[in-house]
Amino acid sequence: MDGTKVAPGRTAGLYAGAAVLRLAIFTLLPGLANLLTGRVEVSTPVTSFKRQGLFLYNRNVSPYDGGVYHQAPLFLPLFSLLPSFSSFPIFTYLLYIVVDLLSASALWRIADSGEAGSSALFTSPRREKRWSGFGIAALFLFNPFTVATCIGRSTSVFTTCAILHAIAKAVSGAPFGAMVALSFASYLSMYPLLLLPPLILLCYDRQCPERAINSGFRFAATCVATVAGVLAVLFQLSYFITGSWEFLPSTYGVQLTLSDLTPNVGLWWYFFIEMFDSFRSFFLAVFWLHLSSYVGGLTLRIRRQPLVVLTLLLGIFAIFKPYPSISDTSLFLAMVPLYRHVFPLMRYTFVIAAVILYAAFLGPAFYHLWIYAGSGNANFFYAITLVWGLGQSLLVCDLMFAVLRDEWEVERPEMVGKEIRQI
Amino acid sequence: MPTVNTPGLSLQRIYSYVNRLPLFTRLVVAAIVLFEAAAILLGNWWDVRAWGALAPDELGFGSLYRTNTYPLIHTDMFHLIVNLVSVTPMLDMFEREHGTLTTLALFIGPLSTLPALLYVGAEKYVLGLHSPVMGASIWAFLLAAIEAVRMHRVHPYFVIAGQSFPVWATPLAALVVTMVLWPKTSALGHLCGLAVGYICGLGLLKYLAPPEKVLRWIEGRLNLLGRLPHYVSVDQKTHGRFGVLPMSNLGATPVLINAATASALQLRRDPRILKLPPYLSLLCIVVGVAWLLLLPLDQYSRRTYISENALLPGQVHTYFSGSDQNVFRAYKHEVNALVGKSNAEINDKLEPIVKGLGLKTARQNFTYHAAGHTYAGENLYAILQAPRGDATEAIVLVAAWENVKHEINRNGVPLALTLLRYFKRWSLWSKDIILVLTPDSIAGPQAWVDAYHDAHDPSRVASLPLKAGLLQGAIAIDYAQESRFDSVHIVYDGVNGQLPNLDLINSVVHIAGGQMGIGVALQEMWRHDNGYSDRLRTMLRGMLKQGLGLPSGPHSSFIPYHVDAVTLQPFGEGWQDEMAMGRVIEGTFRSLNNLLEHLHQSFFFYLIMHRERFVSIGTYLPSAMLVAANFTIMAIALWVKSGQAPEAAASKSKADTTTTPPPTPTVERDLFLPLGVVALIQSLSIVPLYLFNHAPESILTPLFIAFTLINTALPSVLSHLLTQTYAPTAQQYQLVKSFSLLLLGMFLSSLATLNFSLALLTGLLAAPLSFAGPCRSRRTTTCRAAAAVLLHALGPPAVLLAAAAYSRAGVAAVLREAAVGWHVCGTYSPLVVWCVWWPAWLATSVVVLGKGEDGDGDGEGKGNGKGNGKGNGKGNGKVKTT
Repeated sequence: MDGTKVAPGRTAGLYAGAAVLRLAIFTLLPGLANLLTGRVEVSTPVTSFKRQGLFLYNRNVSPYDGGVYHQAPLFLPLFSLLPSFSSFPIFTYLLYIVVDLLSASALWRIADSGEAGSSALFTSPRREKRWSGFGIAALFLFNPFTVATCIGRSTSVFTTCAILHAIAKAVSGAPFGAMVALSFASYLSMYPLLLLPPLILLCYDRQCPERAINSGFRFAATCVATVAGVLAVLFQLSYFITGSWEFLPSTYGVQLTLSDLTPNVGLWWYFFIEMFDSFRSFFLAVFWLHLSSYVGGLTLRIRRQPLVVLTLLLGIFAIFKPYPSISDTSLFLAMVPLYRHVFPLMRYTFVIAAVILYAAFLGPAFYHLWIYAGSGNANFFYAITLVWGLGQSLLVCDLMFAVLRDEWEVERPEMVGKEIRQI
Repeated sequence: MPTVNTPGLSLQRIYSYVNRLPLFTRLVVAAIVLFEAAAILLGNWWDVRAWGALAPDELGFGSLYRTNTYPLIHTDMFHLIVNLVSVTPMLDMFEREHGTLTTLALFIGPLSTLPALLYVGAEKYVLGLHSPVMGASIWAFLLAAIEAVRMHRVHPYFVIAGQSFPVWATPLAALVVTMVLWPKTSALGHLCGLAVGYICGLGLLKYLAPPEKVLRWIEGRLNLLGRLPHYVSVDQKTHGRFGVLPMSNLGATPVLINAATASALQLRRDPRILKLPPYLSLLCIVVGVAWLLLLPLDQYSRRTYISENALLPGQVHTYFSGSDQNVFRAYKHEVNALVGKSNAEINDKLEPIVKGLGLKTARQNFTYHAAGHTYAGENLYAILQAPRGDATEAIVLVAAWENVKHEINRNGVPLALTLLRYFKRWSLWSKDIILVLTPDSIAGPQAWVDAYHDAHDPSRVASLPLKAGLLQGAIAIDYAQESRFDSVHIVYDGVNGQLPNLDLINSVVHIAGGQMGIGVALQEMWRHDNGYSDRLRTMLRGMLKQGLGLPSGPHSSFIPYHVDAVTLQPFGEGWQDEMAMGRVIEGTFRSLNNLLEHLHQSFFFYLIMHRERFVSIGTYLPSAMLVAANFTIMAIALWVKSGQAPEAAASKSKADTTTTPPPTPTVERDLFLPLGVVALIQSLSIVPLYLFNHAPESILTPLFIAFTLINTALPSVLSHLLTQTYAPTAQQYQLVKSFSLLLLGMFLSSLATLNFSLALLTGLLAAPLSFAGPCRSRRTTTCRAAAAVLLHALGPPAVLLAAAAYSRAGVAAVLREAAVGWHVCGTYSPLVVWCVWWPAWLATSVVVLGKGEDGDGDGEGKGNGKGNGKGNGKGNGKVKTT
C-alpha cells in the first residue's frame, strides 16, 4: 500500500463495494437500521434521523414547536423533496450512501495532495511512508463506525462531508470553496466554525501561486468575510423557510445551553444532569471555553502543519463536544491514517485500539444493563463513556506527540531514534 | 546507569534505597507485611492480632512468644504504614552499623523482650490495666532513643529561636507528638521502648550483644556472606551513621536483578518480562477457578436476607383452605376431562369458567418456527381488576398446560383457577392480578409477555386485546405431580442467565419454609445437607443453566422484561396437599401486593448455593474477569513480542550490565495480513450460526457430522492456503493470535457483565487457546499434530458432542433446543459459541499449524538477523505449545 497510482477500475470497485455493503444492510436488515437509528451512540438530539421535524414542516407547523427538532432548517426542504421515506425509503438510503461516497472522495483528494507529509513550511523526513488515497478512502468507507453512522441515518454525515470537502478544497488551493464548505458545515452543526483559524492557515499555505494574496491579514479577513457572508445567506434562507428566527435558539441554542440531556457518548450529559441549576451557566461557559481553547493553542504550536491542527481538533471535538456520537469519531479516525508516516513514533497504538474496542463493546452492554435490564444504572454507561473519551484522548495525545517528535527530529537530527521522556 | 536530572530521580532513589536494604531489615519488613496480609486474608480462621499481641493478661510461659511477635503485628493498614516508614530507615541504619547477625540477635532477643517485660510489668502491676499492645513503633522509639543518646554526645544541644534544647530529649518530644496525634497509641509502650533505648544507647546493655569472635566464627563456617544476599557481615560494618548515599554507586548490586522494580521504561526492555505473561495468565485462570471453588465457604458467601422491607413475607395469615378444596376438586374434574383435547377446545372450555368468575378474558394466537417445527398455540388470560388499585400495576399468575418436560399440569391449572376465584373474593388487592393459561411452557409465555410489552413481531404473534398495568412480578405454577408433596422447588433462571430479584426468591423461601413449614429446593438439588459439596453443586448447576441461557420454565420469558418471576414446582412424597401449595402462592401474592415500587432493593446478579446462602456479583465477578483478563494479557504480550526484533529476544546474555542495554529497535509490524485473517475468520463464523439456527431438526445430525468433518480439516486447509499465498512471517502469526485473543478477551469481559456464567464457561473452555502457539521444537511435525489433536479435543464441536453425550439427549436435540431458544426467546448462547469461541479457536488452530519460520528467517526481506538467526532462534524460541 504505497502511494502509487490506482487504476480507475479499483476506484469504481471501492465505491461500488461500499455502496453495495450499505445498500445490502439497508434492504436486507432493516431491523438493524432502525435499531441503529435509535441508539444513543449513533443518534444524538442534534443529529437524529427520527427526530426530524418533517411531519410538522409538511403540515405548515413550525418544526421547532415541541422542542424535539434541533437541526438546521435547510434539512427540511432537502428531505421533503425526497419521496416519502415510508413509501420509498430507497431514495433516502441512496442520499446517505452518496454523501458517504462524496466524503470518501474528498478524503482521497486530501490524501493524494500529500499535505500530511509535507506542508508549505515543513517537510517530514518520513513522508515516503504513506498510504494511498485508495487505502485511506477504503479505511473510511469500511470503518464500522462510518457504516453504522450511515446506516443509522444520522444527519451528521452531512457535516462530515462538508468538513472533508472544506479541507479538500483548501489543500487543492481553492480558499473560496473551502470557506463555503466550512460555512455549510458550521451552519449544520455549529462546532465546525472553530476549525476556521487552522483552515484559513491551510488555505493560505496552499494558495495557487498566480492568484496568491501575500498579506496574511488581508487573506484572513477575506476568508472570514466569506464565511460570514455565506452564513448570513444561509440564515436568511432558513428564515424564509421557517418564517421566523425561532430556529436559532432551537438549533444552536440547544448546543450552547445543553437543554436536551439525552445520554450520548460524550462527557457533558451526565455532568449537567448532576449539576445544581445555579452552577449550570458557569459550567456551560467553562465547558465551551475548554472546547474552544484548544483552537488557538494548537494553531500556534503546530503552525507549520495546519492539517495536523485540523485533525487534532476533530479528535478533540469528538471527545468534548456537547453532543458527540460515533460519527465524530469516524471522522477523526478517517483523518488519522493520513499520518501513516508518524505511526512508528506513536507509542500506545495497541493500548488505544484495545481501549476503543473495549469501550465500543462494553458501552452497549452497560447501556442495556441500565435501560433494559434495569440491573445497572446511569453510572455504568457514563463510566464507559469516560473510557471511550480516554481512548480517544490517548489517540489525540499520541498523534500529537508523534507529529511534534517528527518536527523535533528535523531540528535535532542527533536525537533520532533515542528514547526521550515526556515531562 | 546514567544519573539523569529528571523528576524520575526521586523515584529511582527510593527504588535504589529499597533495593539496598540489608537482610534483617528486609526480613522484618516482610514479616510485618506478611502478618498484616494474614490478618486480612485469614481473618476468619486465625485472628493474628489476638494471637500475637502483647496482652498483659495473656502472658504466661506458654505464650512468651508474644514478647517477640508483638512488634510485627499491627492494628490496621494505617498503623502498619506509619510504623514501617519510621522503623525501616532506623533499622537499616542500625543493621549497617552492627551487622546482620548482631542485629538479629539483639532484636529477636533483648530489644523486643525487654521493653515487653517492662511494659507488662508497668501496665499490669503498677497501673493495674490490661490493654494489649502491638506494632513496630516500640522499635522506632527504641532506635530513636539510641540514636538520640549517640547524637547527644556529639552535639549536646540544638537551638531553636534562641532556646537550646537537649538533643537526647527529642524522642520524648516525638512521643508527646505521637500521643497528641494518635491518642489511641499506647504511650506507656512507647515509653518502655524509649527507656530500653536510652539504656542501650548509654552502653549499659553492651554485654547482651554477642561477642564479635563468635559471630565471625559463625559467619566463616556457614559462609553467610556468600550465601545470603544483602547480608551485612561483621567486618562489613560501616561504622558510619549514614552508610553510603543511595544512588552513588550501584556497582555492588547488579541492576538487572532489580529491573523488575526499576522504572517502567527499563521494565519494558527486560527480555525476561516477556516470558512472564504465560505464567501470569495461567495464574489468572487458576486463581479464577480457585476463587469460584472458595465461594461456597461460609467466609465468602452470605446468608440471604429480605432487603425490601415492604415485602413483609409471611406476616399475614393465609386463609386458602377449607371449602376452596371442594372448588379445587371441581375444577380438577373439569381439567381432567380436557386432557388430550386440542388447545382451542381446552380454551373454549376454560374461558367460560374464568368468565364465570366475573373476570375479563381474552385470547392470543402465536406461531413460531424453529428447527423445522412450528410452535403454535393460543394463550388464554384473564384480568382481575384490583379493588383497591388504579390499574397501573399487575401481578401475573401463570399456569402452563404442559411443563417443560411436557407433562400435563394436572394440578397446576385447577389450582390457578381456584386461587383466582379465591382472590376475587378478597378486597385487599392493590394490584391487578392476571391469570395466564398457556398451552406450553416456553413459546406461550414468551408470546404473551412480548405482546404485553408491544415488543412482538405482529406477523407471528397476535397483539393483546386486553392489558393491565406494569407487571410487578410473576409466579408460575408447575404442579404436574399427582400425589401429595413434600417440598417446593423454586426455578428461577431466566433467559440468557438473567435472574429475578433475589428478594422474590427469599420471600418464597421465607413463606414456604418459614411460615408453612414446607421444604424448599433449588436447582434440582432434592436433598441438600448445606455442606460444601452440596453448595458447590447447587452453584455449579445454576451457573450451567445460566450459561446455557435456555428458558427453564414459564417464568423465564418474563425476566428479560424486568419482571421478577419464579416457577414453583412441588416435588417429593410428603403430606402437603394442593391447599398448602395454594397458601404459599397466596402468601407470595400478598407480599407482592405490598410492594410500593418495583423490586429493586436486593441483588439481580447472584449465585445461590443453598436456599439461605448466596454470593453477590461483587464477590464472584472477579473470577470471570480474571479468566477474561488472561486472554488480554496474552494478547498484549504477543503484541509486544511481535514488535521486538528477533535478536532482542536472543540477546539474553547473563552479563552483568551496569549500564542499561541499548534500546531494542521496535520492528514495524505488518498489520494488514493479520487483520485480514482475523476479520475473515470472524466473518466465517456467520456460517455455522446461520446453518445451525435455520436447519430443520431432521437434518441437524447429518449437518453436524458434516460440519465436524469440515471443521477438522479447516485449520489445515486455511493454514495451507495462507502459507501458499502469503507465506506469513512468525510475527504475522503472533499478530493473528494477538488480535484474536484480544477480541476474545473483549467479548468475554463484555459478556461477563450480562451473563457471568456464560462468560466464565466460554472462558474456561477457551483457556487453552492462550497457551497454544506455533511449534518451534525440533520435532515440529509431531508437535504440530499433537497440538492440533489437543485443540480439536477442546474445540466447539467436540465440546458440543460431549455435552450431548452427557445430557443423553443427542446432538440433534441439543441443537434444536438452541435453535428454539434463539428463535423464540432470543437466547444468545449460540451466538457466543459460534461467533466468539469458534473464531478464536479457529484462529489459534491456524496459528498452531502455521509454518511460520523460526523467529527470524522470515524470508520477507526484513533481513534483520538472517545470518545469525538460526542458532539463536532454536535455542530461544520459547513459545509454549499447549
